[in-house]
Amino acid sequence: MDKKFTVVRYFAFGLEILLLFIIQSTPNLIPEVMGGRPLLLIPAALTIAYFEPEIPAMFFGLSCGILLDLGYGDNLGYYTVLLGVICFLLGWIFRDYMVVSFLNATAFSAVIITVLICVNFLFFYVFAGKAEPGMYFLNHYVSKIIYTILCGVILYFVNKGLFRSLLDY
Amino acid sequence: MEFFSDKKVKIVSITIAAVILVMIISAAGRPFLSSGVNFLTKGLSQVSAAAASQGEKTYDELLEENKALKKESANLRTQLVDYYDLKDENARLWKYYKIKKGNSDYEIMPASVIRRDSSQDFYSFSIDVGTTNGVYVQDPVITENGLVGFISSANAVSSKVTTILSPDLQAGALDKRTKDSGVIAGSALYADDNKTTLSKIDANAKIKKDDIITTSGIGGIYPENLIVGKVSDIKYDKYDATKYAVVTPYENIKKVTDVVVLTDFKNKGEIKRISEKEK
Repeated sequence: MDKKFTVVRYFAFGLEILLLFIIQSTPNLIPEVMGGRPLLLIPAALTIAYFEPEIPAMFFGLSCGILLDLGYGDNLGYYTVLLGVICFLLGWIFRDYMVVSFLNATAFSAVIITVLICVNFLFFYVFAGKAEPGMYFLNHYVSKIIYTILCGVILYFVNKGLFRSLLDY
Repeated sequence: MEFFSDKKVKIVSITIAAVILVMIISAAGRPFLSSGVNFLTKGLSQVSAAAASQGEKTYDELLEENKALKKESANLRTQLVDYYDLKDENARLWKYYKIKKGNSDYEIMPASVIRRDSSQDFYSFSIDVGTTNGVYVQDPVITENGLVGFISSANAVSSKVTTILSPDLQAGALDKRTKDSGVIAGSALYADDNKTTLSKIDANAKIKKDDIITTSGIGGIYPENLIVGKVSDIKYDKYDATKYAVVTPYENIKKVTDVVVLTDFKNKGEIKRISEKEK
């Protein structure tokens, strides 16, 4: 079977991830809204996983996770593992049990993004013993979560478009 | 007569008649048509006349000249970019020279900010130098305006800087005027306003607004006399009622783009050396 478009699509997703990483990490590029900036790579991984089979979805999740962890510090781990697993599960669920729709995808993304960022905050801020966690969460993390979910809506349409236009029949 | 009823013929006839009429009027000394046309085309004519007066050149010569000018323009553009680069580089080097001149014991490594990731808290950032450049964890990071932070993790080619706005940074500091000492540590309350705090101040301290805070050098992690900022407020902790000062750094930590890593300085790692000697 000819997989020409699949290869091109994966290449396009790879480029998209790289571009989002650059955008996310470039100083003063994304405007800060109410103390928060979006983590673009989380919705990117999730929205790719809605359309791809579980194995490629997992690899894209891992790639996004590695880049996110790289931005956080030098220790790979939190996002790499969780996004890898979550994207695998999403790929599997949406391939066999659910239909991809805007509502489904947005609901899943909103819940996963919120949980991931909150757990990250719990581990790397609260358990690290940093001061004023409640205030810092309200001032930075709430806006970060909302900003990331909103970016996820845009990325859903981008990746849906890429998937549909580069599909092998 | 059928011939004259044709539409096309009518149009041609009217046009000819109009032209003849205009010719007659012009001949009578009222050239309104040419005046109108001249009025409309005057500007264009002036430009073309000016261009023509530049010389009597053939098309090929003009083409050749155009090519040469384009090449020259490209060269000048490149030179202009180089000039701006050199100007920036000069400004940067001048800053480093001033730092080095004032502190001959400093070994410095200039660096640029390459990443400010959304996932990093308290305005931490990554710089483009790492262990291959002699940069290691705990090295202080400064600018000509004072302390910026410290290297919290380093790999071969880049390093992460934790800023003085973060509670993770704790440095011994003192009021330059009164010699009151305390600990510089970031706070979630003030980080967004580009401010840090000097805590653990003695209850009888005479510290006041606008005093300059510098590092004390105790501990050997940060050199002595490194400017941290100026006191912008004195407050009391709501939990234990101790006094602390809100310190505004002279550098805008949230926007800084060029920094210097202090890879070595007098008394660096003093505590470590003393404890090794004692052993």
